[in-house]
Amino acid sequence: MQILDIKGKKLPDGLWDFPVSTTTTEINLTGSWKFFRPQLVEKTAPCQVACPLYIDIASYMWELSRRDVAAALARLRRFNPLPAVCGRVCPNFCQQNCNRQDFDQAVQIGFVERFLGDYGLDIPFPAPPALRPERVAVIGSGPAGLACAAFLARQGIRVTIYEKETAPGGLLRYGIPAYRLPREILNREIDNLVNSLPIELCCNREIQLEQLEKILEEYDYVFRAPGLGQSLMPGDFLPQPGIYPGLELLHDIATGGVPAGSSFGVIGGGNVAVDVARSLRRLGKEVQIIYRRTFAEMPAYSDEKKQALEEGVLLCQQQLVTGVVAEDGQLQLILSQVIPDDGSGIKAGEVIDQLKVDGLVVAIGQQAGDDLALNHERLLLGGDLVSGPATVVEAMASGKAAAKTILSRCGLALEDDWEGELPAGEAEVRIVSFADLHLDYCQSQKAISLVEENPTSRQHSFAEVVHSLNDEEAFAEAGRCFNCGICTGCGICWFFCPDLAISLVEGDFGTSVIIDEDHCKGCGLCAASCPRAVIEMKEDV
Amino acid sequence: MQGELKPGEKSSREMMMGSDAVAHGVRLCRPQVISAYPITPQTHIIEILSEMVDRGEFPCQFIKVESEMSAIAACLGSVSAGSRSFTATSSQGLAMMHELLHWFSGARMPLVMVNANRALGAPWNIWCDQSDSLSQRDVGWLQIYCETAQEALDTIIQAYWLSERILLPVMVMIDGFILSHTMEPLMVPAAEEVDAFLPPYRPQYFLDTDDPRSFSAAAFPDGFYQLKKNIARTMEDAGDILADGCRQFAERFGRSYEHLEAYRCDDAEIIFCCSGALTGTVRVAVDRLRQDSHPVGLLKLRLFRPFPSRELARLVSGIKRLIVLNRAVSFGVGGTVSQEVRAALYEEDERPAVHDVIISLGGKEVFPEVIEQIAMQAEELSTSETIWI
Repeated sequence: MQILDIKGKKLPDGLWDFPVSTTTTEINLTGSWKFFRPQLVEKTAPCQVACPLYIDIASYMWELSRRDVAAALARLRRFNPLPAVCGRVCPNFCQQNCNRQDFDQAVQIGFVERFLGDYGLDIPFPAPPALRPERVAVIGSGPAGLACAAFLARQGIRVTIYEKETAPGGLLRYGIPAYRLPREILNREIDNLVNSLPIELCCNREIQLEQLEKILEEYDYVFRAPGLGQSLMPGDFLPQPGIYPGLELLHDIATGGVPAGSSFGVIGGGNVAVDVARSLRRLGKEVQIIYRRTFAEMPAYSDEKKQALEEGVLLCQQQLVTGVVAEDGQLQLILSQVIPDDGSGIKAGEVIDQLKVDGLVVAIGQQAGDDLALNHERLLLGGDLVSGPATVVEAMASGKAAAKTILSRCGLALEDDWEGELPAGEAEVRIVSFADLHLDYCQSQKAISLVEENPTSRQHSFAEVVHSLNDEEAFAEAGRCFNCGICTGCGICWFFCPDLAISLVEGDFGTSVIIDEDHCKGCGLCAASCPRAVIEMKEDV
Repeated sequence: MQGELKPGEKSSREMMMGSDAVAHGVRLCRPQVISAYPITPQTHIIEILSEMVDRGEFPCQFIKVESEMSAIAACLGSVSAGSRSFTATSSQGLAMMHELLHWFSGARMPLVMVNANRALGAPWNIWCDQSDSLSQRDVGWLQIYCETAQEALDTIIQAYWLSERILLPVMVMIDGFILSHTMEPLMVPAAEEVDAFLPPYRPQYFLDTDDPRSFSAAAFPDGFYQLKKNIARTMEDAGDILADGCRQFAERFGRSYEHLEAYRCDDAEIIFCCSGALTGTVRVAVDRLRQDSHPVGLLKLRLFRPFPSRELARLVSGIKRLIVLNRAVSFGVGGTVSQEVRAALYEEDERPAVHDVIISLGGKEVFPEVIEQIAMQAEELSTSETIWI
């Protein structure tokens, strides 16, 4: 190699042997090249939208998967004051909409909620920020009343609950059998709620019209949710010994009653009918459900229907009871075939069978037990009375809605008011669909398998049918949650960012992501790899 | 595959395919990272290596990637982090790596890459020629062409030895199918012997969060010029350093290699020049021609970058004709190797007539008879035009 001696500025040899330096490349603001900008936009999981209480499931699942049970419970309770109850009796609209069911199997959200609820049975609710001057009366301590009271009391409003029965819970206690909702759980959950929040519970206080007017004078607001406590009875069934209205029979069994006789027919296909049938089985009765449509069309929860058959409940489907004849202390049921519905309703066809039973339970619907027609601007109504027969969680949602109205009139707000709360700059709530997720780094893992009491032992016991999850099972199941729409600080974007423009920072709420705008070139790898559909690319204008 | 070595033995005799030989050469060098993307006829090499890594024969991270571009990029990262690394490719795959080939040498990152020589489409063709590697002659990599599987195995060990000394990447060529897919008996050195020859890679600078540095960040014009001048200087010295490495290798393993090997060139009037496995064919032709008293010899071009100009000038001094057998062509000029040969001899006072023959492309078979016929027609060969057969 020849080196020419050129006059002028000449560099000494060996100054730069290799293209390595101790200076930083940060001065090169490569971020100015981008025409797309990544943004963290948290979105809403479909489970949350499906839940009438809008529970932020994605977040509490994340906390639980990290074994932070206290944080998960605290978050869950902000949305649902009765998780141990709901974790048992809710049909889990959330789970039916879980994105994971398109991947392998939905997360067992109900059982995780039950785990958290049981964990919190003796953990007091946090004290309200301050006691308020307003006082609210809640009439009826069913799910609607309890929810309304809880959401108000958490904001410091003092609540008095009036309950006509000897113990609180309404349908939870007198309608839902103990094998679905153990009384110990119910008692402890309600006790904990009442004891740790400014709630006064007055049982054995049935409120008639004149008392209601008096209460309206004493309290700033009144929420009334008496429920639908009376069974519908068809007009052609004359009251006679051996014929029982379904709800009333459940109430009777819940308070220790045992109907006489050994064989029963149950008319109906809803949850009350199935609850009655399974309760009677547990009391040693032969039970036959008589339903006008098919088993598949029975509106009761499918697990309950399946378990009823396992427990030996018999089924006459597509049959109608067209006559009841008392005979030798028994009832002779005339069973007729069903003429298929042509749009004008189901009609009875030819008589096809007779069935001799000791008792007949009618569980074909329910109605209000009283008729307190009173309009008042400070009186709010809720629960099944307003909505018609619905689920526990829907009743609770109506209580929550009433609480929200009362709170806003008091100048307060719910702690987590999902409704109407939109991310900055967003015109509508954005729900994460399965297609939005990037699951290349997610391994298939089936849902936790549940342990049920065996059907034989269930026939003699009101013990809970399905076992609870233990700690490890709950953590693992919570870990299956995709946490749709929330940034968990998983770090996949950090891993893939070719410009090291993403930092993971530890904060009060766990790990979060910071994007270095000065150096992000807008390649979009972070958005394409974000498992939870949080990062998205916006055109940079 | 690998036989048992008796205590004290320095190598074992094996029968294996060229791809196996390459894989064993790589194994003996203990790279810490291998990243490669499969392409015929290179696939066997990385398949065998991935199985070796899977069996834990040497501690190594095998990074699966979705393209050759990613394979070489992954190696850039791993070498920057101070890990001895390996990749292999062929044909279109090498072409795809082109941009990062420049980057590798510019960054002064040592790497050994095996390229199984194969034609570039279109039309689609999987057979041997040297268009792929010879069209990467200006990227700042060293290029070594192997004649046998044994040479391929040995060259890999030498290539690491050299690359990590001079901080430039080395490309080792084997003929696709002709070497990669055929078997030959060869000696596999003992691991301890290779360890003694090849020290571990201990770079002065590597990615270290405790001692942060910028690698290949922007260089302003003067600095850039200086860095490129350094590469030129290193290339200039690389031939001698490799020759020293080959001497040490020969002392330890008993096999010697030259940048430009003269075969039966004494008193030759006509000398063929070629590289790769074609050399073996030409050796046979030369032997036959010599039997018939034709003064013919062979120059085997092993080292293409840096080009051994001095050795070439010395070896062909006084020779009448030099017939360059090309397996690659630069359209509009002629055979790629012929250009290099002519350029190397331009300043020589006594230079032979150089005949530019395109002997084979895309796997076109070359038989000894063809070489013999070319030698017999040497008087008629053009010196101004490229010769196609």
